[in-house]
Amino acid sequence: MLQAIELTKHYASIPAVENVTFELEGGQILGCLGPNGSGKSTTVKMITGLLKPSRGRVLFRREDIRRDLVSYRKQLGYVPEEPNLYPYLSGREYLEMVGILREIPQPKLGKRIDDLLALLSLYPSRHSALASYSKGMRQRVLLIAALLDDPDLLILDEPLSGLDVSSALVLKNLIRALGERGKAVFYCSHVLEVVEQVCSHLLILRQGAVLAYGSTGDIQKRIGHSSLERSFHHLVEDVDPDRVTREIIDVIRAA
Amino acid sequence: MNRIFHGSNAGEEDLNISMGLLLALLALPGGFVSLLLFDKYGSFLQWLRGETKFDPLAAALPDEYFFIVLSMVVTGGVALWWWDSIFPDRRDFVNLVSLPIATSRIFLANSVAIVILTCLCVIDVNAASSVLFPAGVAAAQPGLRFVLQFAWVHALVVALASVFSFFAVFASTGLLMVLLPYTVFRRISAYVRTLIATLLLAALSTSFTVPRMILALPRSPHSPLRFLPSAWFLGLCQLLRGRADSSLAELGHMAILGLIATGVLAFVAYAVSYRRCFVRLLELADAPPGHLGVHTSWIFPVLDFLILHTPFQRAGYRFVIKTLLRNEAHALAAGGFFGLGIVVASRTLFATFNSTGSSPLPSADVLSIPFILCYCLVVGIRFVFDVPAHLQANWIFRLLLNRSIEESAALARRVILCFALPCVVLVAFPFYLRCWGWRVALVHLGVVKIWVVLLTEVFLVGFRKLPFTCTYPLFRHSAVVAAITYVFGYFAFTALTAELESEAFLSPARGIVSLAISLGVWYAVLRVRKNLTEVDEPLVFEDIPAPAFDLLHLSDRGG
Repeated sequence: MLQAIELTKHYASIPAVENVTFELEGGQILGCLGPNGSGKSTTVKMITGLLKPSRGRVLFRREDIRRDLVSYRKQLGYVPEEPNLYPYLSGREYLEMVGILREIPQPKLGKRIDDLLALLSLYPSRHSALASYSKGMRQRVLLIAALLDDPDLLILDEPLSGLDVSSALVLKNLIRALGERGKAVFYCSHVLEVVEQVCSHLLILRQGAVLAYGSTGDIQKRIGHSSLERSFHHLVEDVDPDRVTREIIDVIRAA
Repeated sequence: MNRIFHGSNAGEEDLNISMGLLLALLALPGGFVSLLLFDKYGSFLQWLRGETKFDPLAAALPDEYFFIVLSMVVTGGVALWWWDSIFPDRRDFVNLVSLPIATSRIFLANSVAIVILTCLCVIDVNAASSVLFPAGVAAAQPGLRFVLQFAWVHALVVALASVFSFFAVFASTGLLMVLLPYTVFRRISAYVRTLIATLLLAALSTSFTVPRMILALPRSPHSPLRFLPSAWFLGLCQLLRGRADSSLAELGHMAILGLIATGVLAFVAYAVSYRRCFVRLLELADAPPGHLGVHTSWIFPVLDFLILHTPFQRAGYRFVIKTLLRNEAHALAAGGFFGLGIVVASRTLFATFNSTGSSPLPSADVLSIPFILCYCLVVGIRFVFDVPAHLQANWIFRLLLNRSIEESAALARRVILCFALPCVVLVAFPFYLRCWGWRVALVHLGVVKIWVVLLTEVFLVGFRKLPFTCTYPLFRHSAVVAAITYVFGYFAFTALTAELESEAFLSPARGIVSLAISLGVWYAVLRVRKNLTEVDEPLVFEDIPAPAFDLLHLSDRGG
């Protein structure tokens, strides 16, 4: 369904992402992992069409997305990393605005918004300004906005950030269920346990390049570690966490 | 201090200007007006005018009053601008309270910062006029003593008037915070600020009448001047110069009392509201409570049916109207422009009625009133369209909007006209109907509507963005040119159109000239718009300046 072919992005002359290639089929949940500055967010912005690659292409159903971004985005649901919303709009007003822009017919839109707000425990505060929402509530609003038009492709960038335990559980189950319904999900996160539980495939980035790509089981088998955390650490981390911990304690003591 | 200068939303709202530029802007009005007054006091020009007996102190009275009002308006405006930053906010609370500092020390530090800023602002606003104005007034007077005496009294009075104004605004903030629940205060804050801004602008218009009234003060013991703070400071000025009769001396004493009372009130209100709000800030909601837009939600479906025909227009209209009405900076800026319009229109109205009385047909000045109101409103809304609101949140529009959509101007036009036309119909129409009957009222309504639509079209030439979602435009680099254009545009729009209409009332044949001019403007707008749309992307989110040169990439083509 989605193909990234040699995606490259340079800021000035500094490469942020270099030759990232992967494929995402319907029903697959592809987890994108990497340490800070590994190019995850830049990759996400390129595959949503928010950022134009310096080189390479993104194909959706074998068509370059930049040929017709509007119809591509019609089939795309996106939850960004930061819950940046207009604070003076209410949750319902924001979702209504998104729904109108997605051209969802009015009576259907109102009912769908209210149902989703109720299911994600936001209905009582639907008319309150988004400024008064907690981070988790804003994250849920973004999730509803992404799901509103039943998209075929979901791109989720740290969607669990700020969510409480039960909402996080709902979201994890929801992602799995969407995968089973044939939706393609691109899932970016730092939380390795969740990626391990949810994702069928993995894309591990480091310094803007692909370090590992394949099914979750294959990657773990290849590296020879039973847990994803160990595998990830084996692949990307330069530092020895035990040594750094000891040194921090030493510095604090010395002070 | 840095936080107060740059606002509590520094980095989030792009309505910040540098400290140097702000100080220069604040100093500008006093200096500029002082320079304009040089010719009035020059001995050579007095000789040319045949003024052999010239009393500089008597001649300076209206100008002195104008400087007092100007310093109060500018300093009050600054206090209004810093309204949100004067009191520590949630971010300050989170950053400071976790540190081992007593809240009393935070209070003291903030108080000291406010006092320093007040002094800085007072000096900056009045420095130029305190040097240039006395120098101008004393130009024809022999000896240095007169200059120094005049200068210190002027400097002291305008400085005290500034301090009074700053504390008055500060005290009203504090009092509202003390008297109202915090959430209610947050909710009405923008409206109160707009009201105070309008009152400050209205105070400027008193400089045309108060100097005349003050001379008649001894004969009118119940004069409303006794309740006007700017008149108190003029009384103080005359008292210090030894030219005050008993009524002016009384005003001067009221200035001192008023200053002390405002200062004490500001401090007490600040201390109480600090105790009440700051220490409980995390318990208080940061945003207006209650249900937003529930009572007005029926309006949008009606507008969808009547004037909003596409998803872009429907979603965009909702977004723009809510930003205009709910985002404080935007509401304040647009309200300020409209307030200015009300002040100028009401001054024109009173001046006209005082000079001419009633007549069978309205004069050009009377006809210009809705033009003035609409011009200020259209310019104000058009100006705030360019000021971004929560720019990081515009990703949703970047994601969902089709860049080739050519409806930005159509949306902006609908928003502007939705504000401007009701203003004409509801405010101006009943007035003309009452004074001059149906014929004049209907014709005037039609003419104003046509010109307002044309004005909107002129201001929307080249407009290709969703309001509030685009980065700051080139305006920053050409602010002076834009300001001059707005001023010239004001005179052209309000005077010329009203004059043409007045002529048409006298002789309907002359109305053809007016019609021809409006058609000419319409044609010119269409031509310019056609040329622009052929080259550019219809919808943008970044106002990037056109490059000084283009690379032709000849080598690429050769390869």
